[in-house]
Amino acid sequence: MRTGVAGTSLRLDSRCLTLVTVVYLVCMLSVPLTALGMLIWFAIYPLVGSAVCRIDFGGVFRKSLYVLPFVLLVGVFNPIFDHAEAFSAWGIVVSRGWVTFASIVLRGLLSVQALLVLIEAVGFTGLCRGLARLGMPSYLTTQLMMVYRYMSVLLREALSMRRAREARGFGRKSFKIRDWGPFIGQLFLRTVDRSDRIHRAMLARGFNGTLRFFNTAESRWTASDTAYLAAWTAILVAMRIFDVSSLFTHIA
Amino acid sequence: MHMSDALLSPPVAVAAGVAAAALIVAAGRQVKRSPADSRLVPMMGVMGAFVFAAQMINFTIPGTGSSGHIVGGILLAAFLGPWAAFLTLASVIIIQCLIFADGGLMALGCNIINMGAMSCLVGYPLIFKPIVGRKFTNGRIVAASLLACVASLELGAVAVVGETELSGITALPAGPFLAFMTPIHLLIGIGEGLATAAVLCFVKARRPELIEETPGEVLPGKSFRKAVVWFAIAAVVLGCGLAWFASSNPDGLEWSIEKVAGTSELVAEHTTSLTTAASAVQASTAVIPDYSSSLSGIIGSAMVVLLVWVVVSLIRRPAGAIQKVDNENNPS
Repeated sequence: MRTGVAGTSLRLDSRCLTLVTVVYLVCMLSVPLTALGMLIWFAIYPLVGSAVCRIDFGGVFRKSLYVLPFVLLVGVFNPIFDHAEAFSAWGIVVSRGWVTFASIVLRGLLSVQALLVLIEAVGFTGLCRGLARLGMPSYLTTQLMMVYRYMSVLLREALSMRRAREARGFGRKSFKIRDWGPFIGQLFLRTVDRSDRIHRAMLARGFNGTLRFFNTAESRWTASDTAYLAAWTAILVAMRIFDVSSLFTHIA
Repeated sequence: MHMSDALLSPPVAVAAGVAAAALIVAAGRQVKRSPADSRLVPMMGVMGAFVFAAQMINFTIPGTGSSGHIVGGILLAAFLGPWAAFLTLASVIIIQCLIFADGGLMALGCNIINMGAMSCLVGYPLIFKPIVGRKFTNGRIVAASLLACVASLELGAVAVVGETELSGITALPAGPFLAFMTPIHLLIGIGEGLATAAVLCFVKARRPELIEETPGEVLPGKSFRKAVVWFAIAAVVLGCGLAWFASSNPDGLEWSIEKVAGTSELVAEHTTSLTTAASAVQASTAVIPDYSSSLSGIIGSAMVVLLVWVVVSLIRRPAGAIQKVDNENNPS
């Protein structure tokens, strides 16, 4: 699985993008909470990364906002408990709690954005293949591919069962646990029957315990992958070691 | 209960990741040894998808007006056995992270331990199985499901508090955090337990053999002992890893930089020279003299990032569609 790079015929291997994401997350999440200036620089990766992989950053940004309520809930205690002064500007004293609160929110958004860039660039199947070639055990890859494959099938089945119930429910939509049990139990029995049918179909096609998902041509690691990984690793580690925001310290 | 990356520091995330990976490898070995190996592959796959579907249908939480959905650990373990259920739940958590951005990539290890291991490898073999025994009566199923679900969710909640406190991200002290988490998870656990019992009782009445013979169970005694041993190993790895990082090195990355470079002075020296150079040029351009240094750093950095955003969007209008070279499997 390779992903095209904007404006060129260059293609990146999914392993390369996965490794860049891991390097990014480690560097970004290790930034101390009080170093908000240093953390802001890490917003560059989702921006540039999505442009390089031809992904709409607006979409990535909007999707990352789903994590906001949870992150706000986690961070909201910092301004309450931490009153130490971080800095003052225009007569307003800002406590360290508010700085760390902003850091927590930014960490939450950036980590989700990096993940979304990776997933949208290589797709789930591509990511699984990449992880398998990076050493993830085959039973886990098989399991992930199977769940992904049948997720939409069973979701559709559950939703059509729910629609049938709602159509006969005289406007009642909520489930009491007493009703929910047989409903989900029924879905479970259908799932077991489906798994038996799948198993028989797999045996009929020569299944011997391991799935062979990777029968299409594998992409090869090229010099462009090495260059992309090396460039981002250098940039991210440099951003983590040298606080670039200190350059602005004396503008004031 | 999904933990976000924002909550965790890298050492804690990495230690939990290693422990979760060890448990996944152990689970893989156990599943491969199971006599129903070939039947388990589609069964586990479809059961993972079933958990997603079951989570779509919310039930009313008794006593409150709100509704909730099932986590499914004990339910899966009752049908698949502990190891196969753990592997299935781990795959569900990985997909929730990768596709739905539910819980972060670095937090995966913590989430797999808090939700997967606590229910399938602790709650099921230590609580559910001994209570149910070999007689699957409705009363036993309800009691076992309730206790196992409450215990595994509470253990998960305690683990979330522990991992968060070790990371040192939130300023909320452990005591109030625990007092906030445990009552909520007691209620969630009761809901989960009743819902699990409702499904199990229904399936028992229709197809008793599905509960009485779990395909992933290797041997009752052996599987139980192995579960405990592996969990203890994972706990020790996690505990030692965390203690080692938390005690001596508050910042793992800086520590590793120091190891590689021989000294951490390199960092300070370079920053100082950069700062001096910058101040020499920029001293005259000062606009707000009482501006504090960290605020100007924050504002300046934010402006640069905004500038990058503008430049990036000007250089290339997004194509909208994502280009994928290989075709994805189309579900049928």
